[in-house]
Amino acid sequence: MLDAYTLQTGTGFWDPVVWIVVFLVAFLIALAIWLLGEKEYPRDTQAVKPFLSGNVEPEKADVHMRAGNLYWGFTEAMKGYYSRLVPLHTGVLNDYVLWFLGVMALVFVIVGVAA
Amino acid sequence: MRLTKAFNRSLWVFHLNTGSCNGCDIEIVATLTPRYDPERFGIKLVGSPKHADVLLVSGPVTRAMADRARRVYEQMADPKVVMGIGSCMSGGVFYDSYNLVGPLEEHIPVDVFVPGCPPRPEAIIDGVVKAIAKLERLEGEGK
Repeated sequence: MLDAYTLQTGTGFWDPVVWIVVFLVAFLIALAIWLLGEKEYPRDTQAVKPFLSGNVEPEKADVHMRAGNLYWGFTEAMKGYYSRLVPLHTGVLNDYVLWFLGVMALVFVIVGVAA
Repeated sequence: MRLTKAFNRSLWVFHLNTGSCNGCDIEIVATLTPRYDPERFGIKLVGSPKHADVLLVSGPVTRAMADRARRVYEQMADPKVVMGIGSCMSGGVFYDSYNLVGPLEEHIPVDVFVPGCPPRPEAIIDGVVKAIAKLERLEGEGK
């Protein structure tokens, strides 16, 4: 649009002024649609709540699905593995260092025997 | 959004069963068949009260459904009318049942009653015509 703001890339161009005009036009169209909307409606009633077959809308916290829920089938299928592995994760650093030293000692023994 | 008058007679109906034996529900379905074909007048069932002009309630009001009926009624946009279908709308033969909580009009305002057990499709269509008249009156009053 304006040469000073236009970046020629060789395969096209980039002009921020064009984008500003596009966003402005889109905003005006959206504003016109919004202004056509019904202004008078009861705001503090069920009219503003979603329709859930007449049921009360539950609290967001009650219906929030955590990422862990997605793995339910996975953890259920490998229950035998997790039931042994999870208790080992105590969160105590000393335990982890002990595990590290123990495994390292085992590795040295195996490597020593093999050599 | 205010619609043009061309849409005035296109009544969209939301059907709510508050404890019906399904007799009325079957007659509602019969009303929608090609034999009567109310859709040629723009009258059809919709899946959400938020899209509906008419709340069509069948059956007596059971304890579990009273609260839900009130909630669905509130979720409809104005202007709206409520049609009650079936003789048991006021309790009927079940009026003293331990599980009913009084006639429908004790919970939401009812504009049109269609009695019958179940009412024939012609009676339901007659009720819809009365609902149209009521809606036109409400729109005339600016509600």
